[in-house]
Amino acid sequence: MQGITCIGLGKTYRGGIEAVSPLDLNFSSGRTTALIGPSGCGKSTLLRLIAGLEEPSVGDVRVLGQSPAEQRRRAGISVAFQDPSLLPWLTMQSNISLARKLARKPPDPARVARLIGLVGLGGFEKVRPAALSGGMRQRAAMARALASDPQVLLLDEPFGAVDELTRRQLARDLSPLWKSQGTTTLLVTHSVDEAIMLSDRIVVFSPRPARVVADLEVPYAAELGDGPEFRSLKDKVLTVLSASAAMAK
Amino acid sequence: MRTRDWLAVLLGPVLLLIGWQLLATGLEGKALLAGPVEVLHWLTQNIGLVARALGRTLGNAALGYLAGNLIAIVLTGIGILFPKLLGVIGGLALVLFCLPLIATGPILRSLMGQGEGPQITLAALAVSYTSLVTLLTGLRAVPSAWLDLVHVYGRKRFAELWFVRARAALPYLFAGLQIAAPAAFLGAMVGEFTGAERGLGVLTIRYIRALDVAALWGISVVATVVSIMAYAAVGMMARLVLHDLPPVVLLSSPASGRCGKGRFRDAVVLVVAVLLLWWGGIRLLGLNPFLAKGPLDVAAALTWSAEASESRAALFLAFRQSLGFALPGYLIGLGVGAGLAMLLVLVPAVVPLIMPIAVALRAVPIVTTAPVFVLFLGRGATGTITLVAVMVFFPALVACIHGLRQAPGQVLDVFDVYAAGPFRKLLYARIPAMLPALFAAARMSVPTAVLAVTVVEWLTTGRGLGSLMALSASTSNYRMLWSAVFLVTLFSVLSHAAVASLERHVLRIYAPEQVRQ
Ligand SMILES: Nc1ncnc2c1ncn2[C@@H]1O[C@H](COP(=O)(O)OP(=O)(O)OP(=O)(O)O)[C@@H](O)[C@H]1O
Ligand SMILES: [Mg+2]
Repeated sequence: MQGITCIGLGKTYRGGIEAVSPLDLNFSSGRTTALIGPSGCGKSTLLRLIAGLEEPSVGDVRVLGQSPAEQRRRAGISVAFQDPSLLPWLTMQSNISLARKLARKPPDPARVARLIGLVGLGGFEKVRPAALSGGMRQRAAMARALASDPQVLLLDEPFGAVDELTRRQLARDLSPLWKSQGTTTLLVTHSVDEAIMLSDRIVVFSPRPARVVADLEVPYAAELGDGPEFRSLKDKVLTVLSASAAMAK
Repeated sequence: MRTRDWLAVLLGPVLLLIGWQLLATGLEGKALLAGPVEVLHWLTQNIGLVARALGRTLGNAALGYLAGNLIAIVLTGIGILFPKLLGVIGGLALVLFCLPLIATGPILRSLMGQGEGPQITLAALAVSYTSLVTLLTGLRAVPSAWLDLVHVYGRKRFAELWFVRARAALPYLFAGLQIAAPAAFLGAMVGEFTGAERGLGVLTIRYIRALDVAALWGISVVATVVSIMAYAAVGMMARLVLHDLPPVVLLSSPASGRCGKGRFRDAVVLVVAVLLLWWGGIRLLGLNPFLAKGPLDVAAALTWSAEASESRAALFLAFRQSLGFALPGYLIGLGVGAGLAMLLVLVPAVVPLIMPIAVALRAVPIVTTAPVFVLFLGRGATGTITLVAVMVFFPALVACIHGLRQAPGQVLDVFDVYAAGPFRKLLYARIPAMLPALFAAARMSVPTAVLAVTVVEWLTTGRGLGSLMALSASTSNYRMLWSAVFLVTLFSVLSHAAVASLERHVLRIYAPEQVRQ
């Protein structure tokens, strides 16, 4: 099985906080999966485990058939972190091209320029992060994640600080970029709308420690963002979320 | 607005000058104090002499500055690439920093011969530790998210250093370079106190012998102004490169964050490393055994040789005398520094008056003006204690003011919500925020106090360790000289460690985030 496979994957932080309780999950390659769950349930931790930034306490992850470390060495992974973490001394543009340098890929100014245009930051190329708004920083971080042509894209609330309208537009403009490349994408989001519009599948997690409480396919008709399929799926997700929250209490 | 700012900055120094002149006029004829007019007169008369001496001293200081900072940068790089070595590297640098410069001078002179070598080496010694510690702090003060970014692309330590840490540490590098500028000047001048042929320090010695008050004040003024200018120049350079101010670095201990067991192991490794380097260095360089004493020679001199009990008695007496000056001075300096800082917070209107002077004088290696202190306050306890206190005072004041300002705005807002007065705010919010800064200053001031006391004793008072070292140097009693250097260094390192340990205990309660690494 290709894609991303979690086998009994769990994480307990030092100090005894269990963030992810052992999970068995497969994300097939080339598809986009949205991860939804209450704040603090362990979504970021799961992404960090898959990226190999955190060692699992139990279990194992395979990314496209390899360990995360091997996959990283081939520069196959990109992450847009929840916190944009742009380097403050580099201009926005250099922050984005930095990804290609780190990935040891040849510079590609045309691609970088196109990405900057797509995230709507044209004209801010030479501006340093301190002079960008929170949402602009997030968009730059998103462009940086896409700049290195990754095979696996991990997006941790990439549009958390962006207004609803821009968010929809970014979703429309950016998602073809990774979908057409056959990138395996995981998208953590708190917006059910966004999850439905951007992904092929939605995995809903329980409050901490994260367990899967629902695993839903997104029919193509729902992705358009309106209509009965969309609304029924949205209702389903919200029901599951509130039910699992109530259970936890 | 701008002009008013300038006036505020200038007001302090102008008041200082006027007060100085008034005091000098009042004390005229007592050969204690030369006023600004007299000093200016002397300087214009001897401009050529002073310029030549200053040029020599500055040249040596610059070379030592370069060497010391290069060593610090290389050691830091090694430490970052091989983190296991960090503890030992930091420890070795600390040991070098704790060497009593004034006695290291004659030892170096005996080994390197006449010339500029000892002065340059002392200047390098005086800067390498602070530069190392600031750089290390900078290289570590990197948010882990930036490192995650590097790791996501499968890159390791070297890319971390290249793409993130090196650039992130740049402001800290400059902060270190700034502190180091006057320190190098101090090192060079102390080197000249101990038997060089040319330089400002040599002039100082000459005028102490001649009791030339105007000349001594003149040289002190030159040393002060040059130090402030060097400090300001590096600061300006930093602003050009960085587009913002270098951070205020409160020199955190390089070994912090290690648990008890790790610290113990580091200490053992450090002792072994020091002994090996000491012994091996003498062997490898083929130094003359009459001049260069190894660990065994010192151990013999202090324990089993025929004169051991006599040397021990002499050392112990001198040690007690020096401690009698250093300890009160150290405590007074810290106490007054912290106290004044708190007072300034309660009366914020005077801060703009005092801060520029305090920041400027913090840059002054007060030791270079030691003769003036002794001249003015006498050879007794008062002069020496005051000098030590003043040396400790300025860094403590600046650090504490900075720390007091660290109290987070939201916390103070909470106090305002309950209409808590300035005293309560000071007690519950600001003083806890100040403690890390106060302790950082206390730790770094240990070697400063030792340096101050030994230099005054060497130059003037005829008592204590400094005087014992001077006597040993002039009678070529190298066994005694090396023993004294060994004991003083050991004492400084241990006191430093004691303050650091106290610091960890206090910070664990008041600033737990600072202890956790
Ligand atoms: N480095 C860490 N050390 C200890 N505990 C951690 C660490 N990182 C996260 N946690 C804990 O693990 C749990 C899950 O955190 P995580 O960041 O994965 O949540 P999340 O689902 O991404 O939340 P959010 O939606 O708010 O971003 C939390 O309870 C958090 O306190
Ligand atoms: Mg998260």
